[in-house]
Amino acid sequence: MTGTGSKALLPQRKRRRRSGWRGLVYIAPAMALVILFFIMPVIFTGWMSLHNWPLMGGTRWIGLKNYVRMFHDARFLSALQFTAYYTVIATVAIFAVAFPLAIFVEKQRRFVSAYRTIIFLPVVVGLATASLLWVWLANVDSGFIGPALKALGLADKSPNLLATFDGAFLTIVIMVVWKIAGFTMIILLTGLQAIPSELTEAARIDGAGRWQRFRHLTLPLMRKTIALALIISVTGSILAFDQFYIMTSGGPQNRMISVVYYIFNQSFVSFNLGYGAALSIALLAILVAISIVQLWLLRAGEERP
Amino acid sequence: MIKRLLAATSIATLCLVSGASAAEKVEMWVRTGVGDAFKKTVEAYNSSHENQVAMTEVPFSELVQKYATAIAGGQAPDALSMDLIYNPAFAAAGQLEDLTDWAKSLPYFNSLSPSHVKLGTYQDRIYGLPLSVETSVFAWNKDLYKKAGLDPEKAPASWDEITANAEKIRALGDDTYGFYFSGGGCGGCMIFTFTPLVWGSGTDILSADGKTATLDTPEMRKAVDIYRNMVKKDLVPAGAASDNGANFLSFTNGKIGQQSLGAFAIGSLVTEHPDIHFGVTLIPGATGGTSSFAGGDNFVITKGTPKMDAVKEFLEYIYSEDGQKIMAKYGSLPTRGDIAGKVLEGLDPRLQVGIQAISVAKTPYTLQFNDLINSANGPWATFTNAAILGEDVDGAFSNAQSEMQSIIDSGQ
Repeated sequence: MTGTGSKALLPQRKRRRRSGWRGLVYIAPAMALVILFFIMPVIFTGWMSLHNWPLMGGTRWIGLKNYVRMFHDARFLSALQFTAYYTVIATVAIFAVAFPLAIFVEKQRRFVSAYRTIIFLPVVVGLATASLLWVWLANVDSGFIGPALKALGLADKSPNLLATFDGAFLTIVIMVVWKIAGFTMIILLTGLQAIPSELTEAARIDGAGRWQRFRHLTLPLMRKTIALALIISVTGSILAFDQFYIMTSGGPQNRMISVVYYIFNQSFVSFNLGYGAALSIALLAILVAISIVQLWLLRAGEERP
Repeated sequence: MIKRLLAATSIATLCLVSGASAAEKVEMWVRTGVGDAFKKTVEAYNSSHENQVAMTEVPFSELVQKYATAIAGGQAPDALSMDLIYNPAFAAAGQLEDLTDWAKSLPYFNSLSPSHVKLGTYQDRIYGLPLSVETSVFAWNKDLYKKAGLDPEKAPASWDEITANAEKIRALGDDTYGFYFSGGGCGGCMIFTFTPLVWGSGTDILSADGKTATLDTPEMRKAVDIYRNMVKKDLVPAGAASDNGANFLSFTNGKIGQQSLGAFAIGSLVTEHPDIHFGVTLIPGATGGTSSFAGGDNFVITKGTPKMDAVKEFLEYIYSEDGQKIMAKYGSLPTRGDIAGKVLEGLDPRLQVGIQAISVAKTPYTLQFNDLINSANGPWATFTNAAILGEDVDGAFSNAQSEMQSIIDSGQ
């Protein structure tokens, strides 16, 4: 940067353009990664979705037929329905567990970091590993839950949890809560800790009760954090695949086929990569729409309520 | 001292490296659940030949999509032990090496298992040759028969008899069961062990031309009833309802009285579980007759592999008398008819039942086998679970019938 002093006379605009270029250079690596690993694959997927594209053999342009097909595809519609059902139940369950946990570990008390660590531990286990672990736990003969129920006298016979829809669904939801709640808890914890203690004290002096402080102080101030946790949780649930594939291979009588599972089946079991690509684009659109709606509902962009 | 040791090891390593580079290393995939026949043959080949075969076991339910994906990604192995029912689809897609001229030059070509060669042939060119043959048979545990007061040498001839025997075996105690099947949506297991019930009675789940689903027949209703009845009477372990094939060989734990299984399993039982005394017979039909599923694998070579000669050498070893003997010892029935007698000589007599089964056995021929039958989420797998273990039998029949038909129609 020699001669900066003389350049001070240059018009403002030119200077701004120069720093604009410098900014571009700084973000170029990130942009390159995003273009290479997100934008290009999406464009290519979109291109594939307009073809009859078998896994082996030649491809054929069919226009929008793949998209038309999905509206009449009963199996896709039931996969959507199941995914929505799972997303609602799993998200509510995760928040119902994670919020109290976050409030519990937020206060300074004895062993609080040990609690945080223990609750967070399942998060670092891979989802596939966790699923396999729970397949074993739920095994009717050599597992833990069924035989334990029998040993405690709560059931006459060790129940086969994964054989019925309700049993398998309950097992999977509990597994997911066990695995994910710690992560949601950490996100909510950062939000809780960001609330200045003066505000809470002021509210207390004004005579606000526990519930009032939570409802009118904590919740509004955590709006952004909750939005983040909610979007992560909802997106994760909509994209659920591992647990259904590993724990129930689609569930008793195929009643646990999530949308991603159906895309996988179309692409790699039936070898219709083109239709799978069209379904992926549809799922992407659904996810973007849901995220926008959530952000709007929680108005995460606004500074203060 | 350390220096000398280092020098010695590096020389040894160098020798190993140069030794390996002179010989070819053939990458080969094989599906799980087919017993040890192929594994043992590979071991025998590797210890007696300069060329080596590196075998990778792939879960049977994923082999097809893994192989197809690997081909698309240019990462396919040189050769593959492919479930023969998939052979036409892969040959039609132009992904396999044409073996016609070489195969026809083999002196024993005409005595190779004809149904395998037929499935390996596409438009008069040969893309797959028989590797292993197996048929489904009915097995019973002689020790449990004895304990239950049954004649251990008398093979049950009908499902009424099997059910009655199962009840007596179940009465032995807590974790002893009369019958087993993988009912948790394992299409492959059930087509192998359950369809013989309807085939034996003279009907089929697909029409002869493969264009109509004919699932809902009185014979199939009867077959479903037989299994449902045994489940209802608690003669089948609860784990069967969610077994997607991982525990197909539950018979080997010695606590299952009766089960339909394959000839591969006879080999595994004889060699690995010598303490289990069992008999085998043909699977009775639901309303009389007997039948079996003739399955097994074809040996296919990925198009464009540079190791063609090494692969051929390995396959010729498999077809040699030594190779056939090892395969047969571990339960793969001989693929070469001309030396079958010699190969089976001195081996377990129960394998003869597997050979007998060939004469009554069927193999479905359809390009959509994966979609219709084998896929864990396909109509057949769903049907077997819903009809036998679910609440709504009629619903299971009508759903599966219409879904199978729609898959067939969309593939036309």
